[in-house]
Amino acid sequence: MPSDDSYRNPFAEYNANVMDPEKILAFWCDPFSFARSISESDILQDKMPIVFMGGRGTGKTMFLKYFSYQVQIAQASIQNQTATPNDIEQYFKQMGGIGFYVRIDSPTLRSFEGKGLNDSVWSEIFSHYFELTIARAYLEVFQDLASRGLLSGDSFKSNFLPALAKQIGMRDYASNISNLANRLDEELEYVTSFRSKIVFSRVKFEPRKLFSSQYLSSGIVDLTKKHLPNLFDKLNFVIFLDEYENFSAEQQKLVNTLVKFVRKGMTFRLGMRLEGFRTYDTIRKEEFIKEGRDYQKVVFEDVLNKDKNYQAFLVNVAKKRLEAIPALKLKGFVNIVNFLGEKQDLEAEAKCLLKGRKTPTRHFQYLKLLGTRVDLAKSIKLLSMPKNPLLEMLNILWVLRGQDSQAVHDIMKAYLGKKKSKETAKYRMDYVDKYKLSLMFLLCSAYHTNKKYYSFNTFCYLSSGIVGNFIELCRRSFQNAYFMNHGMLLNDGIIAPDLQDQAAKDLSATELQMITRIHTYGDNLHCLATNLGNIFRAYHTDIYLKYPETNQFAIDEALIQDAFFKEAFRMAIRWSVIQRKPQLQRASPSSARKEIYTLNRILSPVFQITYRTRGGFSEEYSQDQLKKLMTQSNAEPQVRLQSGFKNESDSKQLELSDSLTL
Amino acid sequence: MGELQLYSMDIVGTAGSSSPPAYDYLLLAGGSDTRAYEILRKAKGSALLLKNTVLFDFEERKSDPEEKVRIAYKAYENYDCNVHSIECSIKDPSACLKSLEKNDLPLKEGQSIAVDISCFTKPYFFAILKYLKDHKHLSTITVFYTEPIAYRLSKGFYKSYHSSEGPLSIIELPGFPGLERRAAKSLLVVLVGFDGELSSYISEEVAPEKTIVVNGFPSYTPKFKDVSMINNEKILGSSGALNSVKFARANNPFETFNLLDAIQKESGNAFLNIAPLGTKPMALGACLFALMNSSTRILYPMPEKYTNVTTERCWQSWRYVIPLK
Repeated sequence: MPSDDSYRNPFAEYNANVMDPEKILAFWCDPFSFARSISESDILQDKMPIVFMGGRGTGKTMFLKYFSYQVQIAQASIQNQTATPNDIEQYFKQMGGIGFYVRIDSPTLRSFEGKGLNDSVWSEIFSHYFELTIARAYLEVFQDLASRGLLSGDSFKSNFLPALAKQIGMRDYASNISNLANRLDEELEYVTSFRSKIVFSRVKFEPRKLFSSQYLSSGIVDLTKKHLPNLFDKLNFVIFLDEYENFSAEQQKLVNTLVKFVRKGMTFRLGMRLEGFRTYDTIRKEEFIKEGRDYQKVVFEDVLNKDKNYQAFLVNVAKKRLEAIPALKLKGFVNIVNFLGEKQDLEAEAKCLLKGRKTPTRHFQYLKLLGTRVDLAKSIKLLSMPKNPLLEMLNILWVLRGQDSQAVHDIMKAYLGKKKSKETAKYRMDYVDKYKLSLMFLLCSAYHTNKKYYSFNTFCYLSSGIVGNFIELCRRSFQNAYFMNHGMLLNDGIIAPDLQDQAAKDLSATELQMITRIHTYGDNLHCLATNLGNIFRAYHTDIYLKYPETNQFAIDEALIQDAFFKEAFRMAIRWSVIQRKPQLQRASPSSARKEIYTLNRILSPVFQITYRTRGGFSEEYSQDQLKKLMTQSNAEPQVRLQSGFKNESDSKQLELSDSLTL
Repeated sequence: MGELQLYSMDIVGTAGSSSPPAYDYLLLAGGSDTRAYEILRKAKGSALLLKNTVLFDFEERKSDPEEKVRIAYKAYENYDCNVHSIECSIKDPSACLKSLEKNDLPLKEGQSIAVDISCFTKPYFFAILKYLKDHKHLSTITVFYTEPIAYRLSKGFYKSYHSSEGPLSIIELPGFPGLERRAAKSLLVVLVGFDGELSSYISEEVAPEKTIVVNGFPSYTPKFKDVSMINNEKILGSSGALNSVKFARANNPFETFNLLDAIQKESGNAFLNIAPLGTKPMALGACLFALMNSSTRILYPMPEKYTNVTTERCWQSWRYVIPLK
C-alpha cells in the first residue's frame, strides 16, 4: 500500500512542454469535446489553416502537441501493443494526417535581428533557418517511420532518398535518413555559428545552399507524394507552429505567406496568444491574410469560458492529475471538488468575520451617512440579525436607500418566517440573486478585512477560462495544505478555505507583479490593470451598491487612433490582462452595443473585487481616457460613488501600492 | 575541457595576493554604486598597478535624473589613472564591441588585461570575455569583483529586490547562442538570485524539459541563501526543481564552473541552457563554462532599464585569474 511518502503535489509540473508523449496522453482532456465549432478529426484533416488563439495557460501547447506524430504514435502503440507497420499505416490513414510540432523559442527568434544587419537580410536568413527547422521536423518523423519498417522498399531507396538528398543540397549519395538529418544539422549549426559571430564582427552569411521559402517545407512534401504515394498520398502534412506571437512582424510575414499560399498536401495550425498576429501582411505587396478566407480562427477562452461544461472539464483535468498520485488515488481522493468544497459559504464567512470582535456592530456605522434622519441605537436594535450579518448588511442598504428601519425589520422577519408577499419576494431577490456577494465585500470593507477566495466554483471563475490559472491555484493550495495542514490533506482529502484563500491572493499578487515585466508596454499595462482594479474596487465599496460587482468596461477599439496605445491595448489582450467578452453588449441600458472587456479575474483577490462577471453596467472609455488609464495613477470611477468609511478606497490603494512596490 | 586546470582567486590587498600586480589595461564599467571604482581606490597607493583604464561610459547611467547619482558616476575622475573612455549603451554590447575593434586601443595577445565586472551588466561582461578570448586570443585574464555590503531592498528581504525595472525580454546573450542538437532534451540551469520573478519568467519563455536550480551557498551572508530560495518559490514549485536544488559558493566562479561541468556530464547530450541570475561570480563561472563549451546557450532577461544603484558600500574585492584556453 502506498504510504503518504508517495505524495507529491499533483499540480506541479504542468507545463506541456516538459511532458513526454505518454504524460500528454495520460493528462489529455479535449477542450473542444463539448464545442460545436471544431471536431478532433478536423485538426489533422481540414485543408484550411487554423489559428488557435488563447491566453497564457489556456492549454494551447498541450493541444497542439497532442496531435503531433510523437504523441499519436504513442497513442497508436497504446491502442495496439503489437502494432505491425501495416497497423500504424492504417492508424495514420484513419487520422488523415501527420502532425509536425514546431516551436522556436523567443530568445532564438529575437536573435534574428539587429547587430548591424538590416531587416531584409535577417528575413532571408530566418527564412532559410525556418525551412531547415521544418525539414528537420519532417526527417525526425521519417526516421522513426523507417525504424518501424514503414519506409523501405525500392522506391524509398532508389527514388525518394536520392531526390531528398538533392533537395537539401547534398551531392553525395545518402544511404539513409540519418545521413540527411545530419546534413540538416550541419546547416543549422552554420546559422547558429553565424548568429554568434555577427555580434563581434562583420561576417557574411554564406551557407552551402540558401533555401528560399517553401523550398523544403513544401518541396519535401511533394517528394513524398511523388515517390511514396502508398503511405503519403492521402496524408495531410500538418505543421503545428506554437507560440506564433513571439515571431517578429518580419518573421510573421514569411509564415503568413506560407499560410496564405499553402500548397497541396500540407497545411498549418498556428498556436498563439490572443491578438498574436503582429501583422497580417505577407511578403507579397498588397497581399494579406484574412480570417475566413485564408484561415479559420478558434479562440480557446470563447469555447471554455462561457460553456457550462467548463467546470466538468476542470474536474476532469484535475482528476487525471490526482489519480497519478498513489497516496491520493488509493484513498479515493480524486475529486477536486471535495478538496476545495463546491461553493463558498458567504454566511459562514460573514459570521466568522465578526466572531470575537470587540465591536461587531461597526458595519452599522454606514447608517451615519443619513445623519440625524436615523436613530442609530434604535436602528441597530431593529436591523440586527447576529446569526446572519449579511442580512444585517442588506437591511442597512435598504434603510440607506430610503426604507424605514421598522419596515425593513418587519420584512426581514416575514422573510425568515417564510411568509410570501411582494416585499419578501423582493427582499429574497435582493439578498439571494443580486447583492449577497456585494454585501460581503461591504462588510469586509467596514472591518478593513479582506474577502476570502476559496471553493471549486470560485477557482473556476478566477481562472477566467485559462486552465493554467486553475492548475496554478490548485498547485498553490495543495502546497499550502501540505505545509500547514498535512493531516487534513492526506487523511481527509480537504484543504481549508484559509489556505485556498492564501493561494488565490499570492497568485493574484504575483500575476499583477508580472504584468510590469511584459516585454513591451509592461509599465503601461501594469498601470492599466492597477487603475482598473482600483476603479472597480470603488464600485464594490459604494455603500449604495449602485452598480454591484462592476468589473468590466467598454471601448471602441477602432477609435484608438494613437498607434502606441492601440498596440498597448492589443498587448493587454494578448497577455490576458483584460479579456474581450465574446459578444457585443450595451455598456448601460441606453447605450449602443460595444465590445466589452473585463479585467482578468485572476487579479480579483489583489483588488478585492468580485470573482465573477455579472454584466450589466460597464465604464465606457474614449481614447484619451484609455491613455490616462495607461499612464497616470489614481484614476477615478466615472460614476459618483459613496464609500461608507471615509478614505476606505484611499487606504486600499495605499495598501496596494505598498505591497506591490516594484 | 578534458584536462585539469587549477584556478586562482584571492582578495585584493591581502598579504597572500598573487602576482601580477601590474595590468596593461583595466576594463571598467562606469557606475554609481560605491563599488564601481573600488578597485581604483584600492590601487591608489598600493602595489596594484593599473597602467591604463578603459572606461565603458554608459549613456544610460551618466544621464541619471538624480544629481547625486550623476556625481557618483563621475567619481573615477578622483583617481589619478590614465582613462580612455568608450561611449556605449547598456542595450547594445554588440555595437560597443564592434566600436572597440575600430578603436585605437592596442588590446592584444600577451598583454596583461583585467576586467572589473562589479558594475558591468551580465550581458556586457559575457560579451567582453568572449571578445577577448575569440578575437584578442588572450589565454588568461584577471577579473576583479567587489562584493557589496548590502543590497538595496525597498521593503525588506522578501520579494522586493529588483535588479532591473520594467519590461523584460528573454534573450540569448550575444555570442552565446549554444547549439541545439536534434532530439536533444532541453535542460535549463538557473543560477538563482533574489529576483524570483525573473527565474519563473525565463522558465516560462524557454519551457525546458528539465530545470535545475542552483543556489549560492555559502552566500555572502547566511540569510541570503534563504532569501533566494523563498523568492524563487514559483520556479521551484512549478518546475519540479525543488527536489534537485544544487549549491555553489556565491563568490567562487570556479565552483559554479565545476558544478555545471558535472551537470553536463550527468545530462548526456542535453541542450544546456544557463540563466545566470545569481551573483556575478556565479555568472562568471557560467561564462567561463560557456566559453569552454560553445554548445551551451546563455539566456538572460534583458530589462528595458537597469536600476542604476542596487547595492551599498563595499566589502572585499576579489581577484580571479581566469584561464581562457
